[in-house]
Amino acid sequence: MKLQLSQLTRNRQGQPVQTEQTLHADPLRIGRGADCKLHLPDPRVKLHHATIGMSIDGNCFVEAATGTIKVDGRFERSMRIKPGQKISVGPFEIVVLPTPPDYDLAISVELLDPLNNDFSDRRSTLNTGLAGTRLSKRGMSWMAATAVLLVFLIWPVMNAFNSHEREINAKQFIAPDTSWNPGALSSAHHSFGRDCAQCHATPFVQTKNEQCEHCHKSIGWHFALNSKKAVALHESVFMQSDDAARCASCHRDHKGPLGLIRQDSPLCTQCHAELKTRHPETISPNIADFSHDHPAFKLSMLVPGKVGNDAVERVPQDEKTVEKSNLKFPHNLHLTKKGIRSPNGKITMDCKNCHVPDENGIRFKPITMKEHCQDCHSLEFEPKATNRQVPHGNIEDVISTVNEFYAQTALADVPIDVLVQEGVRRPGERLQPAQRQSALQWATEKAGKTTRELMEDRVCFACHEISKISAGKDNDKSISWKIAAIAITQHWLPKARFPHHKHHSKDCSSCHNVEISKASSDIAIPAIKKCRECHGGNATADDKAPGTCETCHGFHVGGSRSGTPIPLPGGLPYDPKQKAAQKK
Amino acid sequence: MRHRSLLEYRSYRYLKWASVLSLAAILVYSWFSFPVGRYGGTAVGYTLGTIGAMIIVSLMWLGMQKRRYRANTFGLQGWVSAHIYLGTSLIIIATLHAGFQVGWNVHTLAYVLMLAVIFSGFFGVYVYLRLPRLMTENMGEDTYDSVILKIADIDRDIRRVAMAMPDEISRVTETSVQRTHIGGGVLAQFRDRPKKCPTLLATKFLEASGKTLKGDDQQRNHELYSLMLRKKKLVERARTDIRFKAALNLWLYFHVPLSFALLAALAAHIISVFFYW
Repeated sequence: MKLQLSQLTRNRQGQPVQTEQTLHADPLRIGRGADCKLHLPDPRVKLHHATIGMSIDGNCFVEAATGTIKVDGRFERSMRIKPGQKISVGPFEIVVLPTPPDYDLAISVELLDPLNNDFSDRRSTLNTGLAGTRLSKRGMSWMAATAVLLVFLIWPVMNAFNSHEREINAKQFIAPDTSWNPGALSSAHHSFGRDCAQCHATPFVQTKNEQCEHCHKSIGWHFALNSKKAVALHESVFMQSDDAARCASCHRDHKGPLGLIRQDSPLCTQCHAELKTRHPETISPNIADFSHDHPAFKLSMLVPGKVGNDAVERVPQDEKTVEKSNLKFPHNLHLTKKGIRSPNGKITMDCKNCHVPDENGIRFKPITMKEHCQDCHSLEFEPKATNRQVPHGNIEDVISTVNEFYAQTALADVPIDVLVQEGVRRPGERLQPAQRQSALQWATEKAGKTTRELMEDRVCFACHEISKISAGKDNDKSISWKIAAIAITQHWLPKARFPHHKHHSKDCSSCHNVEISKASSDIAIPAIKKCRECHGGNATADDKAPGTCETCHGFHVGGSRSGTPIPLPGGLPYDPKQKAAQKK
Repeated sequence: MRHRSLLEYRSYRYLKWASVLSLAAILVYSWFSFPVGRYGGTAVGYTLGTIGAMIIVSLMWLGMQKRRYRANTFGLQGWVSAHIYLGTSLIIIATLHAGFQVGWNVHTLAYVLMLAVIFSGFFGVYVYLRLPRLMTENMGEDTYDSVILKIADIDRDIRRVAMAMPDEISRVTETSVQRTHIGGGVLAQFRDRPKKCPTLLATKFLEASGKTLKGDDQQRNHELYSLMLRKKKLVERARTDIRFKAALNLWLYFHVPLSFALLAALAAHIISVFFYW
């Protein structure tokens, strides 16, 4: 088979260049293999790709070496070829040309898709740095910063300027401004929840006192503003600057459950350590530290018989201090371990028989004759009439009760076995006027004698300080006694607080050494050194309970800012007038 | 050694500055106590917070300085050295500013972001100090470009030899020539020994086919196999180089976005504090 082969290539300018040659082959092997007459050196061409041959009838055909071959876009195992047909061999295109004379076949070969065979040329297409990847520092930065600003700044700010939305959002699980909360609210303010507007009313304005006083209406000044001097002092100390006058300058919230109330001593000692230098007119001493620079306690004792401002006397406590209660009460006799007689037999008393804690456990309920004494200390005056007692209270009532009893006994129809009095009365006998005279005289004498016994020997005398006002015989009408007013101090240290319930682990006697007390004049309130055994001072000590000013004293103790009285820490100070009012 | 001198810049000038600053912060923090406790809202807290915020903002300025460092007199090395040491001192200053208080809020978010920025920076210093030596060890006397050129040369040889080889072998070697990639996406840049690398597969194929061929083909197969082995080593070295380069830069993709997140959180922190004063 004689074959004309035209090879089309392109020069550097891209112009087609045609070279022709004549081949003799039967058949013509096409492939990249060296043994192929039509040698197409390209990896995309098979080693032996196809064969072009001539059949016996003189027609030319193409046949794939393996599989199929693409002729005019159709895949064929083998087929006859005619001029104009295009055979694809890898990247090459073989076109069957019109057969020139003397030739059996003419074809042209052109490389349509040259091989980009240089790896170094592909270098520019290789992605060899992070800069070419999807990661972008700029994009990521914008995204991160925008997200943070939206969630943590713009959202809360928008929320704060929309009071309606703000109220609704405050009830959600997470409010827009929850992320702004720097720390847990104090336990008292916990009820505010996520409603920041309760305190933070105006943007960029510090929390104002009005926000606090909205609820804390009755909070007190530091001291009573009851004189021009006091007001002037108050102005100069607490109102010298806006910041000093702000509640929040001391009360910082978001500091945890107990963080709102300052517990530190410097709050007090910055003034009180040198109070006399700062304010020479003060009556308060300089106090710097409970552990070593605190004066003896000043006991607020009731003055018997006085009322109003004179009813309470404040006495610095020392060993000589005595209580003038006008009550005879030896603690030692009552608390003796041997026990004491009672209507129900022998009993052993302890503190809580009389000293019953009050409702909040801080101090004790008042002791009354009826509740705490009368079971044993019965007010019977006539041994033969155990069902009759004199009333407790007014001395006139006592005397009249005794008088009436004996007069009644002498004159009325009292069975003889109740009261035997020789010569006074016979059973069933009607009294004659003379007899009545005699009976009344007996009754008067008997009443006078009994009254004198009550006042000078027994019953009333057992507990009360009683003085005789006019001397005279037993039946002298002018004789009378005066029972000294009882003044049992209920609140010894009203300017401090001592919560008894917080000290319940200690025995009463560890502070109140009353088991050896023989007289009611003994002061049972422990002295400051007793407190110092357990409580330290300003500095936190490893082996001591706190002893800062705030441990015992409050700050806002000077009467209400709004004018109504406020209770002192630990309850009301003893007020005789108020007690008198309660009795009525 | 250029990188080490970054830390030693002017005999640790900025280490000294940062130490003095940190020490001063610790002293001030310990010296002053406040009845309401030690936290950002006290005078000391405000002072430390202002210093910290100023340091953060000025260190972020480095990003801009780095791009036009020729224009300033300070010098890039000085800036980077100051950046590292002052940035580290922020750990102390910001912790004291917060008074060791943390919570689930924007304030702690800013603090945590700051720590994330600083520690990603520490990682950056680590890779800058460590990787250049490993990169040199990996490349030897070559450069990345020369390795690529060598691969191209081998590819040409492979094609020449494979031309006479059976089709199945030719296909495998041609795939190695055409489909062997270096680099690529983020993950690909960190994967320097991909299991489906065409060159690796070709090496294995040629190793196996060498046992079945005979005569000239076996000879050529052996030649192809050794070419492919050389190519495989070169490709691995180039990929390792890419991996090192990526590692050298990856931390910045955390450091920079986190810095901007920090800047935003810092703004939210400061504004929120005074918004709800």
